[in-house]
Amino acid sequence: MTWRLVVLLALGLAACGRDAAELKLALNWKPEPEFGGIFEAERLGSFAQRGLTVARTGGPGAPVVQMVTAKQVSFGIASADEVVLARDRGSDVVAIFATYQTCPQGLMTHAARGLGSLAALLASPGTLAVEPGLPYVKFLEKRYGFASQKVVPYSYSIGPFLTDPTLTQQVFVTAEPIAARRAQADPKVFLVAESGYNPYTAVVIAHGDTLRDDGARTAQLVAALREGWRSYLADPGPANALMGPLNPEMDAEAFRLAAEAQQPLVEAPGVALGSMSPERWAELARQLKELGLVGEVQPAERYFTNLE
Amino acid sequence: MSTRTLAGVAPPVLTFVLGVALAELVIRALDVSPLILPRPSAVANAAIREAGPLGAALGQTARAVLAGLLLSSTLGVAAAVALAASPFMKRAFYPYAIFFQIVPIVAIAPLLVIWFGYGPRAVVAAAAVVSIFPVIANTLAGLLSVDPALADLFRLHGASRLATLWKLRLPWALPYLLTGLRIAAGLAVIGAIVGEFVGGGGLGVVVLGAMRQQRTDLVFAAIGYASLLGLALFGAVGLASRLALRHWHASETKR
Repeated sequence: MTWRLVVLLALGLAACGRDAAELKLALNWKPEPEFGGIFEAERLGSFAQRGLTVARTGGPGAPVVQMVTAKQVSFGIASADEVVLARDRGSDVVAIFATYQTCPQGLMTHAARGLGSLAALLASPGTLAVEPGLPYVKFLEKRYGFASQKVVPYSYSIGPFLTDPTLTQQVFVTAEPIAARRAQADPKVFLVAESGYNPYTAVVIAHGDTLRDDGARTAQLVAALREGWRSYLADPGPANALMGPLNPEMDAEAFRLAAEAQQPLVEAPGVALGSMSPERWAELARQLKELGLVGEVQPAERYFTNLE
Repeated sequence: MSTRTLAGVAPPVLTFVLGVALAELVIRALDVSPLILPRPSAVANAAIREAGPLGAALGQTARAVLAGLLLSSTLGVAAAVALAASPFMKRAFYPYAIFFQIVPIVAIAPLLVIWFGYGPRAVVAAAAVVSIFPVIANTLAGLLSVDPALADLFRLHGASRLATLWKLRLPWALPYLLTGLRIAAGLAVIGAIVGEFVGGGGLGVVVLGAMRQQRTDLVFAAIGYASLLGLALFGAVGLASRLALRHWHASETKR
């Protein structure tokens, strides 16, 4: 009886040892160009060359911030405003790499309405399909007012948009507008960033403890991600081919168009890939405080760290 | 308060207080992040501080639930009467009623929005769809379990089918229907909230918004309000059973 227990314990310890070496990275959506640099880094062996084993997990609806807070995963993908909210609720999550310098969220309506700006769009009577409670939606409501809009929940289908000529909906510029165009619609997209609310998006986050206890490996991860993104931006084809079979809802053409659409949002003149600025974090925290979504603004360097 | 009511109320209140106190202690002792599990005290705080918006949302959800239940009980009884009309009807159609029991409401809710438009009508439809099956199944069981001796008696006296239905089968099925309604009431609350996720309004939208803003305290407070609605409906159906059955049915007379 005793030897069995010993064997089980040994096996358990061995399994734990393997798990400790492996870094889990939780995605918040299906494989798509938003994560292109991660898949490219895998393909190039950028993680392996640095002695890292990275296992992807998560997916649509995964509670990534909670998973990182509970240390079920070492790293995850979230948006900058989620980081500010989570820290306000007492969680120690920190941003370490920002994929999108410009937030890819936007509002999409029909070009035939001839509206030229977010202000004009939201002043023009129609239906507005957005996820209730999203911070940027609250920002837009405060800035422009939704008095002329019938606000309804958005449930990740462009069906209603295709049938309603006065419908406006939230989009990820790499997803819905491309699908709408390919469904013969003529959409017009306004970036939320145009309003002055521009959180870093698809941000890689880590637990504060991971940064303190495992800082060297975390810096290696960031270096590998940067290498992956540089290569993906130069040629998204090979990583797209890897992601395609994992996301059958998007065909090769959708992958190509999305990668093309996101390029100007990932790159910003004079900014290293993934790098963030204290000014922008401070601005975001201030905006969220003004919306009443967080209590206190923390010093910017608590929200993020640039690991060079 | 009489000792009898006290004896009725004390056990659930006691388990509630002990359960909440235990949860509060464990969450504090383990220092669980509020993002993962909020403390009951934080939930209570949110329930009180946000009572205005939560109350308004509860009102909207309650209206949709009541309308949905009215719809599902009317249509459900009608369907059960039709199915009980002949063995052929039952064989031909009953298997399809089971569709309503297994329908994944999350999957069809977006379709309800396309059919009925955004707003309360889609929410009522979602509440009705998930709550109709227990009404059909229970009422049908009641209609089909009529005492054969009584059915013979009606036949001997030459009662018409309609009279038999009205004076014998439906009253016989009433306790079954009321049991079905108790199950349907809870389901209708779930159906309405899921309907609100896509159709808009009510506690459903409060829950979605609170999740987006990582307000787990508010999520649980909203669930608390929904539970109150469920309890109230359960109590109302119970009261209706007592009033309707107390003079003649064994389930409510032996008290």
